[in-house]
Amino acid sequence: MELALRLTLLALLLHPIGTGYLRPAILALAAAGLVLPRLLRHPALWLGLTALTVSRVVLDWPLADNHAYLLAYWCLACALAQRSSDPPRALAWNGRALVGLAFGFATLWKLLSPDFLDGRFFRVALIQDPRLAPFARHVGGLTDDELAERRAYLGLHVDGPAYGLPEAPPEPARLRAVAHVATWGTVALEAAAALAFLVPLGRSKWLRDALLLLFCATTYAVAPVVSFGWLLLALGAAQTEPEAKRTRLAYLAVYGLLLLVRQAHGGA
Amino acid sequence: MRLPALLLVVVALHQLWLTREAGLNAWSGGGFGMFSTIDGWGARHLHAWTLSQGLQQELALPPELRDARRRVLALPSDARLAEFARALAPHAPRDLEAPESLRIDVFARRYDPETLAPSGALLRSLEVALEP
Repeated sequence: MELALRLTLLALLLHPIGTGYLRPAILALAAAGLVLPRLLRHPALWLGLTALTVSRVVLDWPLADNHAYLLAYWCLACALAQRSSDPPRALAWNGRALVGLAFGFATLWKLLSPDFLDGRFFRVALIQDPRLAPFARHVGGLTDDELAERRAYLGLHVDGPAYGLPEAPPEPARLRAVAHVATWGTVALEAAAALAFLVPLGRSKWLRDALLLLFCATTYAVAPVVSFGWLLLALGAAQTEPEAKRTRLAYLAVYGLLLLVRQAHGGA
Repeated sequence: MRLPALLLVVVALHQLWLTREAGLNAWSGGGFGMFSTIDGWGARHLHAWTLSQGLQQELALPPELRDARRRVLALPSDARLAEFARALAPHAPRDLEAPESLRIDVFARRYDPETLAPSGALLRSLEVALEP
């Protein structure tokens, strides 16, 4: 349990969040929790972080990213767990439920979105999202010139139907194939993770850790929203069995991997 | 003990409802719709027009309304559009002919499924009468 709590606080220090008074307040609480062991398991610390992270979501409404919400739920779970009769068990239940539900709704949204299911999302995102540009170049096979040409075309300002536009630059078949694989690979992995975390698995509990570690190690190496990855890893570490030391080491290793990825992407 | 999970479900279902009823984009609102569609708030844009008899003039958005603009793009509900229009009203030019109303059009970017040719779909539009 302590590993999950520490990983959560460390993520808040590595990637400061919030604006105005929220940022120093969150940083101060996170640092205090890491330095003072008694505070780490004190409900007041986590209630304070809950209040601050909820404030962040409310003040940013409706712009806050999904992981801002997940962080607020998780801080509340940490606070409630400290007041329960069996804190590790309470935290493990919440970690499992929150991961499963987050992946469940993420999968639902993808299945509801026609422009995701037909591959358009990745065909566009690989070109337009600068964070995905290295992937588009190295895996999609685009040259810098092709990337710039397609980005300019996709970024044309249009109010209404697409009349009178210049001819679309050719789309490499390899890029389209990569987008297709990314589309269905993402749906399959997220749906599998949702099921694994929400359904009783008996002896196959290891599948939860395997899927979450695979998701974090692959997804956040390409799409460097590493603070989301760190949060998911903290939740995942919370639901590991007490004797599963190697599994927790694996969580630590992927946490470190994402730190390296972040550095490689210039600290983003 | 189960309150955090319950909150997640309630907020996510509310987000789904807002996307259908008020044009909230899938990326926002706590529904875990990020990376599920092109229609994030950053793929939307808006135009503001002052209207008077026989004259329609586009209004430049002042920098101080940049944050409000982002929030309108993310959730272009009637209430939010009206609030944005009221904030814009003092910036409407009144030197030639006093405008009678102000209209805000919010567009969502679409891409052709085959060619990816971009187009703009009018998502929401609201006209607000200006005080003389």
